[in-house]
Amino acid sequence: MSSKQDILGRIRAGIRERYEMPSLADLQATVFPDPLEAFITASLAAGSKVVEISPSSDINATVRELFPDAKVIASNLPEINIATINPDTVGSAQELNGTDVGIIRGSFGVAENGCFWIPQAMKEKAVCFISENLVILLPKTEIVNNMHEAYRRVNLGDYGYGTFISGPSKTADIAQTLVMGAQAARSVTVLLV
Amino acid sequence: MSRHSKNAKAFLKDAKYSEWHDATFWAVREKRDNMAHGLPEWEQLRQKASQIKLHTLSHLDEYLEQFSAAAEKNGAIVHWAADAAQFNEIVFGILSEHGVKMIVKSKSMLTEECGMNPYLEGKGIEVVETDLGERIIQLLGQAPSHIVMPAVHLTPDQVGELFEREGISSEIGNHDPTYLTYRARLSLRNEFLTADAGMTGANFGIAATGDIVVCTNEGNADMSTSCPRLHIAALGLEKVIPDYDCLAVFQRLLCRSATGQPTTTYTSHFRKARPGAAPMHIILVDNGRSEWLGNPEHWQTLKCIRCGSCMNTCPVYRRSGGYSYSYFIPGPVGVNLGMLRDPRAHSGNVSACTLCLSCQSVCPVKVNLGEQIYKWRQMLPVWNAEPAGKKILCKGMSMVYNHPLLYKAATGVVKKPFHSLKTDSDE
Repeated sequence: MSSKQDILGRIRAGIRERYEMPSLADLQATVFPDPLEAFITASLAAGSKVVEISPSSDINATVRELFPDAKVIASNLPEINIATINPDTVGSAQELNGTDVGIIRGSFGVAENGCFWIPQAMKEKAVCFISENLVILLPKTEIVNNMHEAYRRVNLGDYGYGTFISGPSKTADIAQTLVMGAQAARSVTVLLV
Repeated sequence: MSRHSKNAKAFLKDAKYSEWHDATFWAVREKRDNMAHGLPEWEQLRQKASQIKLHTLSHLDEYLEQFSAAAEKNGAIVHWAADAAQFNEIVFGILSEHGVKMIVKSKSMLTEECGMNPYLEGKGIEVVETDLGERIIQLLGQAPSHIVMPAVHLTPDQVGELFEREGISSEIGNHDPTYLTYRARLSLRNEFLTADAGMTGANFGIAATGDIVVCTNEGNADMSTSCPRLHIAALGLEKVIPDYDCLAVFQRLLCRSATGQPTTTYTSHFRKARPGAAPMHIILVDNGRSEWLGNPEHWQTLKCIRCGSCMNTCPVYRRSGGYSYSYFIPGPVGVNLGMLRDPRAHSGNVSACTLCLSCQSVCPVKVNLGEQIYKWRQMLPVWNAEPAGKKILCKGMSMVYNHPLLYKAATGVVKKPFHSLKTDSDE
């Protein structure tokens, strides 16, 4: 406790002039004539695959078609009936290791950079990272222009965790060579519903 | 000749390597330019970011209290560390309490600053870096040569041979970065699954919500916190910003400036511990920052969001490499941070600048880095004076800094010895 008061005391002693918070209302952030088209372009650039499907089509069949060799499929989504493991009911997060395909839901996408917001909606968030391939169900009507609009919509939910993801895990740490598939998902497929 | 000059001379002996180094970082600068030119509002964003930082730093007491109250309300345990030693003790205390033998961690310049890894290893705790670049230099026993791309000074052959020695690679002679990355993935997966605790740094702390925000491309911060039963997050005091509206401004600038991507792959918000895990621990670290805030000439260095763009553009950094500097953070911002930390130890770095001011023209939060280096140079007589005179000058300067009127009056006095020194240090 004393460190806290000492630190705050030193800060107060050091501040000479208090600066005003700028207004952000006049910020002229980029908007797109067709946010969905911009989102798709940015997603592809970030390494995501994008598949548009009609609301009446069977998502399970689409996932099977995309990943014919997948054995372990993890999901807690009610519309997914091909899941072999459920991140809500596993005994430990470690059990999700070895997942070929994880299927999760995104709340909305961001046109300027191809990311989508994933609030934790499962007990073990490991499924979002540990799966070799990640499939995101995203409503195509829910695309915002930029991060300013995005952060007005961010909601972490009860688990108190959420993440923006754009494309597969990647690195350029060895000689600046871009490699897809560092520590988390090696491929990301956005299913626009 | 300063230590930096000597090291730079050695660096430049290998002309082929130094040309590659220069071109590699210039390419990152060009990627950043493409991003900046692609956003018509870029300069407006920089202006807002700078103003938000000025506001936040000059109300840091209020925002820190708001942040810690919000985090505690979320169930996190918030610690305040006055210095590196206290930080390390707090981390060790938490780990001991939970019987932790091995931790996985994401990249953090703060833990580097505090010497946390060697401290914990001395206490018998295994620390595994999980950012690929950090893992590589950890295995080599090296320090980062850049704050965003810590292992960029190494060639694929050097990494490949390391992985062969460590048993990470199985195909001898295969030094393809894709293969090496895959082998590191397989090796680190085991650590993620078996670690007792995960540790992350923070790119931002959000005062309004108590969120810790971590930006990575590899997803290693998320992997580090998905399986272990304990999460410790460490952040420097200056990482706290007011709210999500402010975060949107910085999020848009950070990665575009750092690597020339429109966003990092992951921008993750940690507010609560995962279900069934121990409460999240958040450690707010001062370690000099509250004092630097009171430095009238140099407090704005604290605006820095650690994107590394000042290094990528710096003609001296590109041609001398991260290890030529005496401070663990190199390049323009490192020169300034080193002088704030210990001017006597790091005054040699102020010569590592051509005053081209390219750094401050790319800085996303408009830190006047080059101008500050110029100001540090005016103080060289203080730090370079003979022991007897040095003592008097240092004592005098600390008095001057604490009395604004004296400070103004003193500026002329300090300039005089600088003029006589200028000829031999600058030419």
